[in-house]
Amino acid sequence: MSAKPKAYERFPLARRIEHWILVLSFVTLAGTGLPQKYSNSPVSVFIVRALGGVENLYDIHHFMSVIVMLVVIYHLLTIAYHVFVLRSKWSMMISLQDVKDALQVLLYNLRIAKSPPKMGRYTFDEKFEYWAFVWGYSIMGITGFIMWNPITATRYLPGEFVPAAKAAHGGEAVLAVLAILIWHMYHVGIKRSAKLMVTGMQTEEEMLDEHPLELEAIKAGLADRRPDPVTLRKRQRIFFPIAALMTIVMLTGVYTYITTEETALTTIPPISTTVESPLQTPNLRESISCDVIPTRKQNMILLYQKAY
Amino acid sequence: MRRRTQFHLPRSWKFILFPGLGLFLLLAIAALATPVQATPFYQGDGPSNDFCLACHQQEGIDITLGSESLPVTINPTLFGLSVHSQESIACVDCHTNISDYPHPEVTAQSTRDFSVTLGEACRDCHEEQYNAAPDSVHKRALTEGKENAPLCADCHNPHTQGRLIGTESGQLTIAARLHVPQTCQQCHSENYEKYKNSVHGKALTEEGNLDVPTCTDCHGVHNIQDPTTATFRNTTPALCADCHDNAEIMDKYGISTNVLETYVADFHGTNVKLFGDQSPDEPTNKAVCTDCHGVHDIAKVDTPETGIALRENLLIKCQRCHPDATANFPGAWMSHYVPSPQHYPIVYYVNLFYKIMIPAIIGGMIFFILTDIYRRITSRGKGVQHS
Repeated sequence: MSAKPKAYERFPLARRIEHWILVLSFVTLAGTGLPQKYSNSPVSVFIVRALGGVENLYDIHHFMSVIVMLVVIYHLLTIAYHVFVLRSKWSMMISLQDVKDALQVLLYNLRIAKSPPKMGRYTFDEKFEYWAFVWGYSIMGITGFIMWNPITATRYLPGEFVPAAKAAHGGEAVLAVLAILIWHMYHVGIKRSAKLMVTGMQTEEEMLDEHPLELEAIKAGLADRRPDPVTLRKRQRIFFPIAALMTIVMLTGVYTYITTEETALTTIPPISTTVESPLQTPNLRESISCDVIPTRKQNMILLYQKAY
Repeated sequence: MRRRTQFHLPRSWKFILFPGLGLFLLLAIAALATPVQATPFYQGDGPSNDFCLACHQQEGIDITLGSESLPVTINPTLFGLSVHSQESIACVDCHTNISDYPHPEVTAQSTRDFSVTLGEACRDCHEEQYNAAPDSVHKRALTEGKENAPLCADCHNPHTQGRLIGTESGQLTIAARLHVPQTCQQCHSENYEKYKNSVHGKALTEEGNLDVPTCTDCHGVHNIQDPTTATFRNTTPALCADCHDNAEIMDKYGISTNVLETYVADFHGTNVKLFGDQSPDEPTNKAVCTDCHGVHDIAKVDTPETGIALRENLLIKCQRCHPDATANFPGAWMSHYVPSPQHYPIVYYVNLFYKIMIPAIIGGMIFFILTDIYRRITSRGKGVQHS
């Protein structure tokens, strides 16, 4: 920060790595999930072929969902660290101010309001996206569990919850993909530069433009005041064992999620065993004197009677 | 003398020649029109059928082949009804080694052996059927040395076989359709018993219903494939849908025609579809039609004892692949229903929720973005620009 006086670090390296892992998993999950929803599309068939079969598609989807679960666990731990150890501001919390900000931006865009609102570390559109993700991933996690473990789920829930989970998982997926393509891509690909998530740095001008309140706080020395080393160490001593325990609990949860049941047999039993009575002799011999033919004649007569 | 006979045919000859020519023309037309090209081979230079039947209609005549004896009596009435007789096929067209009496010695050592040797004669007229599929199950069994594998004559007794293809329709005749299961059951008696009591079989054998499938509709004829292969299994949904997607047939019975659509919309069907596209020959553990509905024993879904419209009956089917499934589990399958407020309302309302929410949220986003773009465009040139 000090090397470039006019640049501010917005996202430290860990956050940036977290973000790009999420990008990778999101794209893969969408790429392997949507073909299942739109199985009739030639694009879906192409993707399945490219991946070498639908079983690979499932495996990749499941693997990436585990990555997401791990990222979520990591994220929860960092939040806990910020809340309990660093005691940072809850900058991602939604307040009435965000609604006001959104409204003012809209009015400003429509040239009704004269100036844009001054916003802090996270603007309303960023918060909206963050909480949309919280909502989305919760839905995906729950519905994904039901589909991954339908037998366990239907021990406690009506069977209909399984197709309902599938419907919600698919609907949520479409919503998420469209939201990312439209909302996120516009805001960070067109309106702002995606470079931020690579370097993590913003210039003072950018800060002034997007996060003026945060800039003010930084300049006033109010932002991110770290606790003094003694307090920090004291809190860490309490936090780390609890966090470790929570991590174990959550990882056990993930393990349960993926191993709780063997849904179906991999090889299904054959439908029936056919006992065949082989021809004893060439039937030429029998039918010369047997009654197969008269039966057929009767059949014909019966049918002709029926037909006329 | 000779010259005279050529130009001045005796009167009695004309009676034979002209109707004969007419018949020949008729037969030629019929032969061209029917898919089974059974061209009459009898050229009139061998013994006539009457000549053969003079001896062979006598009851109780046998020949000895090795240790077996083969009756060689031919019932002239039944033979007269056969398509071969009606098409004027001569005995010696198939029994080509015989031209007179006494007959040449038979070298076959068993009656089966005799049939195999004689079976080659079918090819002369029915080459298309004979060559239909060298990889058919029956042909393969035969080449594997299973001597009981059916030959042509085991399904089509040449001395009694009636007409199978209608001369005008070019389709399997009604009588033939109804008779097919009788033919197959000679060997496949267990499957026939199941079929006979199934919804399809009962309609066919008891009511003469022509809408239901007879054996050959699913298994084919002549080129019958092994139905236990993965390939066959993977194509089952398409096979059933052939009729079950056809409103012309299904409307009569009030059966839904979107069974395939709803199947593909469900997990099993989606998988089988995507799977089948990629690797049609690989076995899949996802259910196809027959896993729940049965194969030969397909029953009406509302039959109390076995009908799978009842959860308890369906659960048994589920448990074949999902051994740990419990009472609620069958409810996960939407029974070919398209979700509606009546059937599977939760699924219906979840879909409805997203049907409303997706356009609403995405529409809102687009609107917001458009206002932002508007602001930017109109601000240009006024020096107010974002980075």
